[in-house]
Amino acid sequence: MFSDPWGFFILNPFTNVLLLIYNLIGHNFGLAVILFTILIRAITWPLTGQQLKGAKVMQDLQSDKEWLDIQKKYAKDREKLASEQMRIYKERGVNPFASCLPTLIQFPIIIGLYQSVTRALAATPLTLLQLARSIYPFMNAAGIIPLNSHFLWMDLGRPEGLPFPGGFALSFLPYGFPTLAIIVALTTYLQTKLTLPPSTNPNDQTAAMNGMMSIYMPLFLGWLVLNYASGLAVYFVTSNVLGIIQYAMMGRVNWRNLLPGGNQPAPSNVKKSK
Amino acid sequence: MKRSTLFSFILLGAILLSACSSAASRGTSWPGLAADANHAYLANGQFIYAARLSDGSKLWQYPDKAGSQQFFAAPLLTPDGQLIVGSAGTDQGLYSLDPATGATKWSVPFTGAKDRWIAAPLAINDTLYAPNNDGSLYALKLATGGLLWSLSIGQPLWGSPVTDGKLIFITSLDHFLYAIDPQSQKIIWKTDLGGSAAGSPALSADNTTLYVGSFGSKVFAINAANGLVRWTANTNAWVWSDPVVNGSTIYVTDINGQVYSLDASSGKNSWPNVIPDGPITGSPLLTTDGVIVTTESGFIYALDHNGKVTWSTSIGGKIYTAPVASGNLVIIAPLGAQYLLYAVNEKDGSMLPWHFDGK
Repeated sequence: MFSDPWGFFILNPFTNVLLLIYNLIGHNFGLAVILFTILIRAITWPLTGQQLKGAKVMQDLQSDKEWLDIQKKYAKDREKLASEQMRIYKERGVNPFASCLPTLIQFPIIIGLYQSVTRALAATPLTLLQLARSIYPFMNAAGIIPLNSHFLWMDLGRPEGLPFPGGFALSFLPYGFPTLAIIVALTTYLQTKLTLPPSTNPNDQTAAMNGMMSIYMPLFLGWLVLNYASGLAVYFVTSNVLGIIQYAMMGRVNWRNLLPGGNQPAPSNVKKSK
Repeated sequence: MKRSTLFSFILLGAILLSACSSAASRGTSWPGLAADANHAYLANGQFIYAARLSDGSKLWQYPDKAGSQQFFAAPLLTPDGQLIVGSAGTDQGLYSLDPATGATKWSVPFTGAKDRWIAAPLAINDTLYAPNNDGSLYALKLATGGLLWSLSIGQPLWGSPVTDGKLIFITSLDHFLYAIDPQSQKIIWKTDLGGSAAGSPALSADNTTLYVGSFGSKVFAINAANGLVRWTANTNAWVWSDPVVNGSTIYVTDINGQVYSLDASSGKNSWPNVIPDGPITGSPLLTTDGVIVTTESGFIYALDHNGKVTWSTSIGGKIYTAPVASGNLVIIAPLGAQYLLYAVNEKDGSMLPWHFDGK
């Protein structure tokens, strides 16, 4: 336990829950990944809500007149600026870490979910040995292994690709046409774009960074899917779609971001915290 | 910041750090090893190495520069002087190398399989029988690597096939042991092992009985002619390795680290408490004085015929690969140790004064 707290607290429980779902639904790993992602998203729903709420309060503060005034007034005195910001936080009852802590708590959960999918697929001897040690005694590991990794047209233990017509081959796409990588990139782009907060300032560096992220993140995840087991891609797609649904249910989806030049300020209806 | 919040951050940080460290130490390599009288052939990571056993120097490596290959399967030295190696990388190639130079012998590698090569193939006369992770057994022309036929069994094949001269016997992760007739290319019989099997079966000296272990924590003695189970013996954990036959005794290990000495006719274990140190995935190596086993904790143990440790040596790292004999030397290929290969004397475990680091 103390030699591997990550395995004990996160990875092993996650792997066993994933395998339990797999067992319960009749040995369909693709469906198990989808249900497991939904389960984790449901458990972390309150955290996401708290994070969004905190982010909204901080975002509203950025357009507050008093806040903007002190930024200008104490632009050259960082110490005074910090103390004034703290005063405003205190007066308004704002906790600047309110959106940060839920994100930090979710972070290991997301990593754990990703790692448990990889571990359960156990595509190599070493990963299978690690899986054997992760499975709790009551789970009947011998009956579960090998996992049925076939889902729809995919083998979830391998990178996905549909054969090119006529036996055509490309050396940089050894597994064929990467349908799932494209879907992952597309849903990641949509999720990032739709959930970007509207910019209140044309010179806002955070907005610029978010804009860069909306380009690089889909490319990065698409590249991951090209090279790693497609079981991860199923997780990415499910997670992205659920993320969009969750934001939409909380009224935080900014559909205008999909339009050219659409990242403009949205009307705010959140009152100041007193 | 409140004390409880600070504590939460520290705890979270510690768990995340342990996630990073466990990820860093989680390589996926699994060395494969073979040796002849003068050289050791090591499949390790992205390369195949040939090392001189006289001084540990490198004879050659394949390929020259790291590419898309990754090697798990033990290289196979064939009677006609080839070294067959299968890649677990994205190339999924099966290659024939010259054991003396490392040069490729087939004009093109065999790339007709749909997945990676985990197990070493079997050469019989002029045919190579190669099991693939895609669940198929491929029969190739030994001289050229050309495909003769393939037989889909279904689930990943991680154990090397063995033969009695007529049939080919192979385990599968699908829980079955199969007997295949290479002439008709058909499955003659299959026997349920109660769990996946990643090792090879061992044949009795008279070729009538197969001994095989499985993840069902059992060892089976099976009639080679019809697949009927003669006896089963329980183990305390998964059997990953190949059993070893020594006359009327079968030596088997499990991943809890126990070594078993089973009676070949009844399956009765005469070593109820031989648990050297750490999980064992590599097969035992039969010696004149007993058996040698290697453990995940990086130790080599020599056991006499009564299960008593006669010597032990630590080389560090983790040992998953079965030890291989060359004359009176025992060659070890650990994972994550300081060197890639070690050689010890079979009699006393004294280590040779060289270490092979692949450079």
